[in-house]
Amino acid sequence: MQLRLGIGAILAAIFLVTYATPNWVSTPSNVRNIVLSPLFWPYILGGLTGLIGLGLALSGWRGDPGEPVNDPIPDPGAGAARLVGFAALMAVTFWAMPHLGMVWTSMLAFLALAFLVKTRHPAAAVICAVAVPLILYAFFAHVASVAIPQGELVRLP
Amino acid sequence: MRLKTLGALCAMSLGLAATPALAEYPERPINMVIPYGAGGATDISARTIAEPLGTAVGGTLVMSNITGAGGATGSVAVQNAKPDGYTMLFARVGSHSVNPAMKATLPYTLDDFRFVTVYEINPVACAVRPDSGIESMEDLVSLTESEGTSYSSSGVGSMLHLAAVFVLDEFGIKDPLEKATHIPQKGGGAAATAVLNGTATFLCTNSSALASFVANGQLKPLMVTTDEPVPGFDAPSASSLGKPDLRQLVGWTGIAGPDGLPDEVAAKWGEWMAEAAANEKFVEQMTARGSVIEVMSPEEANDFIETQYNTFRALVDKLGMRVEG
Amino acid sequence: MSLYDSVMAGLALVGNLEAFLSLAIGIVIGVVGGAIPGISATMAVALALPFTFPMAPINGILLLLGVYKGGIFGGSIPAILIKTPGTPASSATILDGHPMAERGEAGRALGMALWASCTADFVSNLALIFFAGFLASFALSFGPPEFFALILFSLTIIAGVSGESLLRGALSALLGLLLATIGLDLVYGTNRFTFGDPNLMGGLNFIAVLIGLFAIPEVINMVWHPTGHVGKVQKLGSKWVTFAEYKRCFRSIIRGSFIGVFLGSIPGIGAAPAAFLSYSEARRKSPNKANFGKGEIEGVAASEAGNNGVAGATLIPLLALGVPGDVITAIIIGAFMVHGLQPGPMMFVLNVDIIYGLFIGLILSSGILFIVGGLAIRGFRPVADIPKRILMPMVLVLCIYGVFAVNNNIFDVGVMFAMGWVGFVMGRYHIPAAPFLIAFILGPLLEDNFRQSMLMSGGSPDILLRGPITWFFWTLTVISIVAITRGTLRADRAGG
Repeated sequence: MQLRLGIGAILAAIFLVTYATPNWVSTPSNVRNIVLSPLFWPYILGGLTGLIGLGLALSGWRGDPGEPVNDPIPDPGAGAARLVGFAALMAVTFWAMPHLGMVWTSMLAFLALAFLVKTRHPAAAVICAVAVPLILYAFFAHVASVAIPQGELVRLP
Repeated sequence: MRLKTLGALCAMSLGLAATPALAEYPERPINMVIPYGAGGATDISARTIAEPLGTAVGGTLVMSNITGAGGATGSVAVQNAKPDGYTMLFARVGSHSVNPAMKATLPYTLDDFRFVTVYEINPVACAVRPDSGIESMEDLVSLTESEGTSYSSSGVGSMLHLAAVFVLDEFGIKDPLEKATHIPQKGGGAAATAVLNGTATFLCTNSSALASFVANGQLKPLMVTTDEPVPGFDAPSASSLGKPDLRQLVGWTGIAGPDGLPDEVAAKWGEWMAEAAANEKFVEQMTARGSVIEVMSPEEANDFIETQYNTFRALVDKLGMRVEG
Repeated sequence: MSLYDSVMAGLALVGNLEAFLSLAIGIVIGVVGGAIPGISATMAVALALPFTFPMAPINGILLLLGVYKGGIFGGSIPAILIKTPGTPASSATILDGHPMAERGEAGRALGMALWASCTADFVSNLALIFFAGFLASFALSFGPPEFFALILFSLTIIAGVSGESLLRGALSALLGLLLATIGLDLVYGTNRFTFGDPNLMGGLNFIAVLIGLFAIPEVINMVWHPTGHVGKVQKLGSKWVTFAEYKRCFRSIIRGSFIGVFLGSIPGIGAAPAAFLSYSEARRKSPNKANFGKGEIEGVAASEAGNNGVAGATLIPLLALGVPGDVITAIIIGAFMVHGLQPGPMMFVLNVDIIYGLFIGLILSSGILFIVGGLAIRGFRPVADIPKRILMPMVLVLCIYGVFAVNNNIFDVGVMFAMGWVGFVMGRYHIPAAPFLIAFILGPLLEDNFRQSMLMSGGSPDILLRGPITWFFWTLTVISIVAITRGTLRADRAGG
C-alpha cells in the first residue's frame, strides 16, 4: 500500500509541476522577484510532494513492517455498490437543493441514506427524516435567521 | 420524463407566484446579501440600517454574509439570483467600483446590477504611526520620493489599495507603483495593524476604520478626502491641500438588485430608504462613526458610481495596474 | 485612581443580578451554539450581537464574551460524540475524544473537556488581567518575519499528530497546503486553480473542509460497512472523570493554557493551532505517549486547555491595542463601538470601570461555564444512545444545514461532500487527517507572511532573521526538526 501511495504521489507531483501549475495558475508578466511570483509556492509544494512520494515508495519497496491493514468487510461487492449509491445520492442532493429547497431535499436524502444502510428501525427513520430537517429549518431560519434555500415548489413560513 | 414534469411544475408555480408577488411586494422575507465578513464596515453599516429598514419595509429582512474574493462571491450570488426583489445586495465601494476597475477577470460588471440607492458615504483618511517622523502629506511625499515607502491594504483590488496609489499620484509622484511598495494584508483590521507594528509606512482607509486608533493616539491622520475636516481627525482636508479631485475617493454603501429588477420594486426601495434613513437613531449611530448619511435616488446612485468607476478606471489604465490573470 | 478604587468601580458595574444573568445567558447560548456544527462560536457571537445593542454596555459585552467562551467549550461536545467539531477550535479534541466515546467513555471525555476548559479559561483570564499591557506590546513586535518563523515552528506540530507514519502525515499536510492555494493570489490578485469559478476565487471554505474531512468520512464508512459498529458499545457510560485523572493531566492542562495564552495574545492565529500545539506538546511529554490518538484522556485535556486558553487572551490585543485577534473578537469590537467605547490604551484611562467590570465578569465566567457545561453534557447525553444508522443520516443533514449557514452558499455543501470522499480515501490509506487540517490553516499564513516579508525587504532574505523573536523561533524549529528526525530514525532502527 505504501508503495502504491508513493507512486501516486510522484505522479501527482509530476502532473502538478509540468501541467497544473503553469496552466492553472495565472501570473502577471511583470513579476520582479521570483520568490514573489504566485507560481513560486505551488512549485515548491509540487517538489515536496515528489520527495515525500519518493520516500513513501522507498519505504514501501523495502517492506515496511508497520504496513497498516484495513479491517475486511463481509460483503465488499455490495459495499462498493453502496458507495456508488451514496456518491450518486450526494450528487443528486447537491443538484436538487437549489431547485427543491433544502428542507425537502434533506428529507429525501435522510430517507435514502437510512434505507441504503438498511436501518433496523424503519419507522423511527421515517419520523426522523421528516422531523429533523423541519426542526433544523425552524431553528436556522427563525432563530439564527439564515436564509435557508426554499426552492420553487412549496415554501415554508 | 419525470424531470420534465418537474420542470413544468416549477415553471408553472413560478409563473403563478410571479404575478401576485409584484402586487404586494414583499410577501415573504427579503434576503439581503452582505458580501463581506461580520464585523467589517459593510457589515456594521448593513446591520445598523436593518432595523429602521425592516420597519419601513414592514416585512422581514434576512441578513446573509457571503464572504470571499474581496466581495466577488457575494456579488455573484446576487447577480445570478432571480430579479424579483427578494435577493438584494449591500454593494460597497470595493466590490462595485474598485474591483470592476482593477480586475479583468471579475465575473461581473456594473451592468449586471441595478442600484436602488447609495445611502452612506465615508470619507477616506490617510494615517501613519505618530513616531514615524512624518507630520504631513508633504513629509510623506518627500519620503516616498527619496527613500520609498510602503502601504498596507486589505488585499489586491480593495479600496485601500487603490486609495493609496490615487493619493500618491495626485500628490505628483511620477511612478507610485515603483516608489511605494504595496503590502497586502488579509482584511481591513490586519491592514491597520500592519501600520501599527511598522510593517507598512501608511494606509489610506475609511475614517470609521481609523477612528478608534486616532482617538487613542496610536495613529496620526495626515489628510481626509472631504471638503470639510472630519470631526475627531486633526488633519487637513484634501480641498484645503489643493487636491479637490481626491473628493472622488470616498467609501460608500448602497443597495442593488440583479439587473432586470422591475421598476415597481426599485420605486418601493426608494420610498423605504427615504423613510429608514430619516430614523434619528440610525443617523446618530452612523455619524458617530464618521459617515455621512445621504440617500440617493436610483439615478443619482448610478451616476455617482459610474463617475467614481471611470475616475478609478482612468487611473488604473494610466498606471497599468489592471489585474489580467 | 488606585487599584482598589478601580476594582470597586468595576464591582459597582457588575455587582448586580442583570450583569450576572447576561453573562450566564451568553454562556448558555454559546454552549448550545458551539455544540451545533455550523453555528460555531463565531456565528453564535454574530447572532447575539444585535440583541446586545439595547443593553447596558457592560452587560452586552459580558453576554458576548459569555457566548464566545461557551462556544469554544461547546464545540467539544459534538467533536467527542459524533466526530464533528462544533467549532474549528475543537478539531484537536476529536483525536482522542472520539476514540474514547467509541469505547463507551464519552462521559469521561466530556467531563475532562469541561474541567480542562474551565481551568484554562481561568488561567487565561488571569493572564489577561495581569499581563495585558506587557503581552500587548509584545504582540505588536510581531511583523511578517516573526509570524513566518512562528508558523514555520508551528508546522512541526504535524510530526506530533501524524500517528503511525511520519511520511504519510507529511503527505497529508502537503495535500492540505495544496488545497489551501486555491483562490486569489495575495500579492497580485491573480487566479490560482480557480478555473474562473467565482465560488473558488474565495478559496475553499475552512469549515466546509473541516466538517467534510472529519464528519462525512464517518458517514461514508458506515455506508461501506453498515454493521461494523454492532457489538461495540457507543454509550455515554457511567464512568465520570475522577479528580485523580484531573491531577494527572494537570501539567498538560497548565502547559496548554499557557500555549493558548501566548498564541491568543498574538493577533491572527486563533484557537485551532493553539489546541493542536498544546496536544502535540502533551504527547511529547507524556509517559502514555503511545496511547495518544487511541483515546488518551490527557489528549482531550491538552487540546481543550489549548483552545480555551486562547479565549481570554484574545482580549489582550483587543483591550490594550484595539486590534482584533480573530473573527470573533472583530465582532466584539463592533459591540464596543456601538456603545461608543473605543478599545485601546486610552480605554484603560477613560473607562477604567468598564475594564475592571469586565475583568470581574470574566473571572466569574469560568465558574458559570463549569455549571452550564455540566448541565449541557447531561442534556446532550441522549445523542450517544441514538442507533448509529439513524444517527448518521442525522449527522449528514445537520452538516448540510450547518455548512450552508456558515457562508450562505450551497457551493460549500458541495465542497464538504467532495472533501468527505477525500477524507474517506485518506482513511483507507491510513493517512491521518489532522496534519491536513493544520497545514490548511497554517499554509496560507506561512506563504502570505513570507511574501509580505519579501515585499518589506525588497526580496532580501535577511529580513527573516531580523530580531530576537525570529532567532528564537528559528532555533525552536531547528531543535524540533532534529528531535523529530532522531525519533524517527530510532523508531526505524527499533522496528527494522
